[in-house]
Amino acid sequence: MSTIAPQFRLSRFIASLFDLIFWVLLIFSLVGLPIVFIILFYIKLPIINGQLMTPYLSMTWMADPSRTLPIVKNFIHTTIFRVMVFPGFGFAALLAAATIFVERKFLAKIQLRVGPLYCGKIEGILQLMGDGFKLMSKEIIIPAKADKPIFWMGPLLFVGAAGAFVSLIPVAPGWVVANPNVGLLAVFAVIGFFPIIAVLTAWAANSKWTFIGGLRALHQMVAFEIPLILSLLGVVILSGSLNLSQIVESQQHFWWITFVPIGAIVFFITIFAELERIPFDLPEAESEIVAGWLTEFSGMMYGLIQLGTYLKLYAFAGLFVVLFLGGWNGPMVWPPFPQDIITNGITIGPVTAKFPGLPLFDQQMLNGTLWFVIKTVGVILLILLPRGVFPRVRMDIALHTGWYKLIGLAFINIFIALGLLYAGVLGPGGLLQ
Amino acid sequence: MSSGTEKDEVKDTTEEHSANSDDTSRPDSMSKDEAIKFYETKGLDLSPDVPTKPKPIPEFEKSMADKISSKFGDAIHIDYIRSDRIRVTTKRENIVDVAKFIRDELRYDHAESVSGVDYPDSREIEVVYHLGSYTDEKLGRQIFALATRVPREDIPNPGSDTTRMPSLRDVFYSVEFHERECFEMFGVYFEGHPDMRRLLLPEDWADIPPFRKDFKIKGR
Amino acid sequence: MTTQLPPGMHLETVDDKIMTLNVGPQHPGSGHMRLIIKVDGDYIVSCDPDPGYVHRGEEKMAEYRNYIQNIPHLERPVIHDSSNILYPYCLGVEELLGIEVPERAKYIRVIAAELNRCVYILYWLAIYGIFLGHSTMFMWPAGDRELFIDLLEAMSGARVTHAYLVPGGVRNDLPSNFEERCLRQVAYFEKRLKEYEDIFYQNPLLKARTEGSGILSRTDAIRLGTTGSVLRASGVDFDVRKKEPYDVYENLDFQTVVMKEGDSYARSRIPYLEMFESCRIIKDALKKMPKSGSVRTKLKPNPKGGNDEVYRRVESGRGAIGYYIVSNNRPEPYRVKISVGSFRNLICMPYLLKGEKLGNMPAVYWGLNYWPVEADR
Repeated sequence: MSTIAPQFRLSRFIASLFDLIFWVLLIFSLVGLPIVFIILFYIKLPIINGQLMTPYLSMTWMADPSRTLPIVKNFIHTTIFRVMVFPGFGFAALLAAATIFVERKFLAKIQLRVGPLYCGKIEGILQLMGDGFKLMSKEIIIPAKADKPIFWMGPLLFVGAAGAFVSLIPVAPGWVVANPNVGLLAVFAVIGFFPIIAVLTAWAANSKWTFIGGLRALHQMVAFEIPLILSLLGVVILSGSLNLSQIVESQQHFWWITFVPIGAIVFFITIFAELERIPFDLPEAESEIVAGWLTEFSGMMYGLIQLGTYLKLYAFAGLFVVLFLGGWNGPMVWPPFPQDIITNGITIGPVTAKFPGLPLFDQQMLNGTLWFVIKTVGVILLILLPRGVFPRVRMDIALHTGWYKLIGLAFINIFIALGLLYAGVLGPGGLLQ
Repeated sequence: MSSGTEKDEVKDTTEEHSANSDDTSRPDSMSKDEAIKFYETKGLDLSPDVPTKPKPIPEFEKSMADKISSKFGDAIHIDYIRSDRIRVTTKRENIVDVAKFIRDELRYDHAESVSGVDYPDSREIEVVYHLGSYTDEKLGRQIFALATRVPREDIPNPGSDTTRMPSLRDVFYSVEFHERECFEMFGVYFEGHPDMRRLLLPEDWADIPPFRKDFKIKGR
Repeated sequence: MTTQLPPGMHLETVDDKIMTLNVGPQHPGSGHMRLIIKVDGDYIVSCDPDPGYVHRGEEKMAEYRNYIQNIPHLERPVIHDSSNILYPYCLGVEELLGIEVPERAKYIRVIAAELNRCVYILYWLAIYGIFLGHSTMFMWPAGDRELFIDLLEAMSGARVTHAYLVPGGVRNDLPSNFEERCLRQVAYFEKRLKEYEDIFYQNPLLKARTEGSGILSRTDAIRLGTTGSVLRASGVDFDVRKKEPYDVYENLDFQTVVMKEGDSYARSRIPYLEMFESCRIIKDALKKMPKSGSVRTKLKPNPKGGNDEVYRRVESGRGAIGYYIVSNNRPEPYRVKISVGSFRNLICMPYLLKGEKLGNMPAVYWGLNYWPVEADR
């Protein structure tokens, strides 16, 4: 007799399972299937192997591998896949999650400790999942006098803006969610949203600490946004384009960091301020203003802000790679897909299976992705490092750095870029192009 | 040191030892002589705990004390002069003048502590200022104890009753928080203190000042 | 309507421009106390410290227990520096009861006190680091503190609350291999200390942040009656160990660390440099210590002080700790007043924070070497 369910009867349990299965089947066949067919009636179905992808065929893809891969391949090239999975949210979130884990272990090594150790048996790799579940299961507390709609909206807006930022980063040739011709301007526009979100949520939470933190966030981000924009102009001048993919393509022979290193340094420093990381984590300075503008967030609302922050971290690192480190460019190291699998199929003993539709991704894309990820991870590690080395700066020092020193350096950088352009060394029609 | 609590001195010495551990416990029905014999068999002697060795009065401290007594004469009473320690008692009316003299002439420049000591038997509270010096090399190891007594009321009303004395905050700035503590713990109101509020106790403390002797710890 | 408020209570006037912040007691940067800070923009216009959240009435409790029973609870205010807070009590009781301490016990006491000073300063340094957002400076001292905790554990049997010093000497003798082990760990620790210099004290961001903030001039340091590292950071060469040497400090080779700047940086650096001196003292004391002999003069059971009083002080990690013990022929002290460095330095807080930026608050606050539990007693 279980203490959890004292009235437990195995027979009734099994009966209830059958009951459940019966109702699921009934409802699915009476309601689900008609809905599926009605939807499919309105959707333009793709043509695969010369056949129209009817619902019947789509239902049999599991049984026939020759139909599976084309369908998957077709799906991979849809927009929804890009937004949700590969260059978009899923990929970025995976990298962000890996970043959190790496940050914890990396920082622990600097600080002579072990970091997460037990959860997941091997070096605590499941710690992050545990933390995620904890945040999800925690109660969300809204302050009584908060401006509730805006307070609720804050984390969603934050993640949304971070996602918008991620969508602009090209990962491999042609693999980008949104590829506007003014890509860099779009990046500036998206970055401009973050201080507004911080101030809105800070004001909406109706607390002194969030208020001070929000104002700090506003001051700091505005002070560092201008050097950020100015530091990237050098790259725009040299490459002659605002489109991020074109900027990457312009770096096939040399990276821009070799010509505008000052711009790269200024941009790298502003990343810290924009991400509110040490040494510029003033809006969340714990010992001064509790947790700054995040003070009143709890549970998954805080989790969303964290997710957004790390998405932002990934996006900034990606932007650094795209603008200064040549993006996906790199020597071809990815092996080509074996040709005889495509022509002859795989032969195992007597059975020979042919898979039409292979390869799923072309070699360029995989190689580009590999180089992009390697470079991005390197930049992320560099962004993580100062947390173990630097203390927090004071507000006036931070603002002074932003408004005086970095803007000055950014202007010097623009002059260098212009000099290189007008001397005819670089740029459209230059010596090295 | 003149205190009003000397009645304890004549108490039975054996009574004190009854709180000891098991090996020295004795039957209650024992006369005093039997008890002394009992302790001697246990190897314990009942001579006074503190040896009374007269110590010589050190020169430097004596000269300091002479300076202050030549200035104030009968207004102060020098309780003791020991090596590195001088203690002077004065009336509360004179304490500001004495303190000013100590600061300006004897060159003590800060207060280390301000302690209240409650003497319910003589209905007085003693306030002792321990003064030290940073500026004068010779006074580095010296502590000057300046004591005064204020009347004590059985039903205290801190701030509104006669338990008050002039504050030394204008003479020694460093007594500010010490006097606030003394105020809340003993109910001694320091007149002229700019900020005579409670410091450690909660704002809604509604009992008598807790360091007075008639405030009993529960269970003791 | 005006009501006459009782003394100790006051009404507060409110200004539109001024925001009142309650830093504590549930603020991550406050410790067990509250600072009522009024800010005008980023500048602090006034600060009113409100300690007392951990007031335990140690002085009152001491009036109910005899001289031996008082030992364990009197170290509770600073468990990280328990030997030093017990030290003046033991000295005072020894003077009251006229007890002579064996020579070896004096050296052991000094070693225990210096080890404990390092334990305290490391803990303080860890919190100072995390208050300034330097998380590595939190982890490193907190880890290296274990070296000394292990040594103290070997000496006394307890990791934190040792109750090792007793009137008449120390509770028990050193373990057999203590000397060699202590020298080894101290040598390692001195190497580690130099790394702290690189990562923390020579950090340009730390210097930019703390240098020139919260300046306490020499005159003010004396007038406010500060003590310990705060006093020495303002250029006053005062250390009780030098000025009024107790036990065997006069035989030992060490220096007082004094800096002239009087800013937050100097205040943060003085305790760090003192750890080098502590290591020197430990090594010197181990060398000069008699290799054998009694470590404790046996007290009579339930000893009674005469009709007397005593004021003894020592130098702890946070400044001078003075014990004023009044006895009246009873086994219990009539009154014990503990004058602690934290409480004496508290007066600097409103003085230094006024006019500072809010961002300087953690550096100034923790630079005062203020331990709220000790200040409340």
